[in-house]
Amino acid sequence: MRSSRRILIFTIALLLILVAVHSNTSTYLRADEIQPGFNQAITQVHLAESAGATQSEINELLKTLNKALELNEQALKLTSPNDAQRRAELLNQANVLLNDVQTKAGALETVASQRTRTSTVLAYVYGGIAAAVGTFAYAFLLAFYRRYRIKRTFQMKVTAK
Amino acid sequence: MLLVVFEMIAYVATTPRPREQFFQLYVLGSKRMAADYYPNNNTDISPSETVTWYLGATNSMGNVQLVELRLKLGNQTINPPNDQQALPSPAPLVTEFKRFIQDNETWEFPFVWRVTNVRFANNSTHILELEINGETFQVVDCSARSGYNFRLIFELWTWNTDTGAFQFGWVIGGEHRVAWLQIWFNATQAR
Repeated sequence: MRSSRRILIFTIALLLILVAVHSNTSTYLRADEIQPGFNQAITQVHLAESAGATQSEINELLKTLNKALELNEQALKLTSPNDAQRRAELLNQANVLLNDVQTKAGALETVASQRTRTSTVLAYVYGGIAAAVGTFAYAFLLAFYRRYRIKRTFQMKVTAK
Repeated sequence: MLLVVFEMIAYVATTPRPREQFFQLYVLGSKRMAADYYPNNNTDISPSETVTWYLGATNSMGNVQLVELRLKLGNQTINPPNDQQALPSPAPLVTEFKRFIQDNETWEFPFVWRVTNVRFANNSTHILELEINGETFQVVDCSARSGYNFRLIFELWTWNTDTGAFQFGWVIGGEHRVAWLQIWFNATQAR
């Protein structure tokens, strides 16, 4: 009877320790674990960059990302249970910023890809126009040169030696 | 013929040229030069003596990168990072600095530190606490014989979007590259 009570107490103590350890590991989270929004935001920014977004356009997103990172760092430092609400607020603010970055980066990707496509098409069109202008210029110069040569031929003076 | 030439020019103008992708990591001394790393040019740092460095990283990867600079405190015997196998140092982590860096941007910031808690015992010196940029960090036990040959190891970690985690160094073209630095110092008793 006594030994079974000991086993029961030991089991309860063990369970309590396990729960305590689990809750400790849950409150201590690393930056790269708590915010999956960061990964989505970076991926979206990379897509906008690949689509041809300019450095100044990306710079705006970068400022917001760094602000979100700062909030995330502040939240990570609040490990006390008393700071749980403040921590949640900071993480929420960071998430709002990350969502904002994702939305803006998505819109930027659309605009940048359209702009890149337009400029590519224009470059090829300008290439065609430049080729046509070049061809006409070449033909005009050739015709002018031929007329000049004919004119010079008729202007020749034949003198007896 | 002309059409082909001009269209080739258009192709070259609109196609981005491939370039080498890499990071740079550096530490400068108190005068923002690769010199004057120690107060009075003396590698013996006494407790509460403030040391000022400038820590910097440049992103040349062609896109925005989330960079983390990890600071570790090592002694003479602990392994430094392994370049061949791209493994970080097993030295205890003191702190980390994170920031998003744009392509071709350099992130530089002052790194002001001092040893705030040290224990001298049995011919061995234990650094227990470091103050970095006004913030105090506890150090998991790190000791050196007579306080000689401690080192601060700086490792560059980057965010891997595929794994959703930080990785030591960066992967480019299937090749894992790393960047790290270390600066040695002696933690001696006050001069």
